[in-house]
Amino acid sequence: MSREISAVEAARRALAVQEQDAEPLAVVTVVSAPVEDAVGRRVIVTESEVEGSLGSPERDERAAGLAREALSGGQPRLYEIQLEGGFWQLYVETVTAAPDLLIIGAGHIARPLCRLGALLGFRVTVADDRPEYANTGSFPEAARVEVIDFSEPFQKIDVTERSYVVLVTRGHKYDYDCILELLRMQARPAYLGMIGSRRRVRAAFEALVADGVDPARLEGVHAPIGLDIGAETPEEIALSIAAELVAVRRGGSGQKLSELEHVLKRVAGKPSEP
Amino acid sequence: MDEKLIYERLIQAAESGRPYALATVVQVKGSTPRDVGSKMLIAETGEQVGTIGGGCGEAEVLEAAREVIESGVPRLVRVELTDDYLSFSPAVCGGVMEVFVERTGG
Repeated sequence: MSREISAVEAARRALAVQEQDAEPLAVVTVVSAPVEDAVGRRVIVTESEVEGSLGSPERDERAAGLAREALSGGQPRLYEIQLEGGFWQLYVETVTAAPDLLIIGAGHIARPLCRLGALLGFRVTVADDRPEYANTGSFPEAARVEVIDFSEPFQKIDVTERSYVVLVTRGHKYDYDCILELLRMQARPAYLGMIGSRRRVRAAFEALVADGVDPARLEGVHAPIGLDIGAETPEEIALSIAAELVAVRRGGSGQKLSELEHVLKRVAGKPSEP
Repeated sequence: MDEKLIYERLIQAAESGRPYALATVVQVKGSTPRDVGSKMLIAETGEQVGTIGGGCGEAEVLEAAREVIESGVPRLVRVELTDDYLSFSPAVCGGVMEVFVERTGG
């Protein structure tokens, strides 16, 4: 029988996925079973192999099936299955790389946004063309800080479907160069936001269309960036942007929960005034 | 809390040579403070890293953690967070969580 996988071993493997881009994996743990010594056993499943054992080839095969189903984008969940004539509960969770937050522009907003992004579980990259701003001393929480040339902004930085891209450079000309480049890429980032007033954003959109960008691609651009919380200071603006990032990542509406849930209306049993 | 931090602390805990209990929320029903996948690491002393409920139902889990650290036998703990609101208990979130508790390290 193959070696047992401990929670610590699973944690090491999870970190390798999150920090070193190792192959995504799913961990299957027996949390209840008719066979007592099976409880707590786990297997690590990747697309290509199964490591560890739940104690029999039949169990491992079932676990691998559930894990691979989960690997194609599932949330962690408990499976309740019949196995070897008994009732089993298998907990399956997947580990994929942390989403990337690319902050282009290393100014006042970038600093608090970098901190918030790291706190929220993003792997943060900060880039600017000014080395005196784009340095690890200014961004201790960043995984990467790059000095780039805005005429070729994404030469050193990969943009993928897992990327959340925030354009907050010191000048709208640079934001424009970056967004044009991004909208011409094959890869569509999970989030693309650009700072700017309504007037600036409108001018940018018009110029992008004139530059040959498909207007349909502009629909997914978050500009002006952030949620409406009345933000004024750089920290508040960073919070407004971070809140939008979370809303996109988790599928939230960005509305007030008090207005979504209408608890008072349910209690009073009558419609509230609009 | 960031799950990455829990993984890091789990590895540090194993390296310390002392036993810990790892609690993972594996199923929730109704309204609960944390989602499936939330983890908490509990030391022999009761010291905890991470949270699975922010006070909501954590007492049962801490009790189970003590037992699991001692026996080494992992188990599933059902935590009911359905106390009456006016009891002012922290467990008023209104849901039920299944929490898997296992020993790690030591």
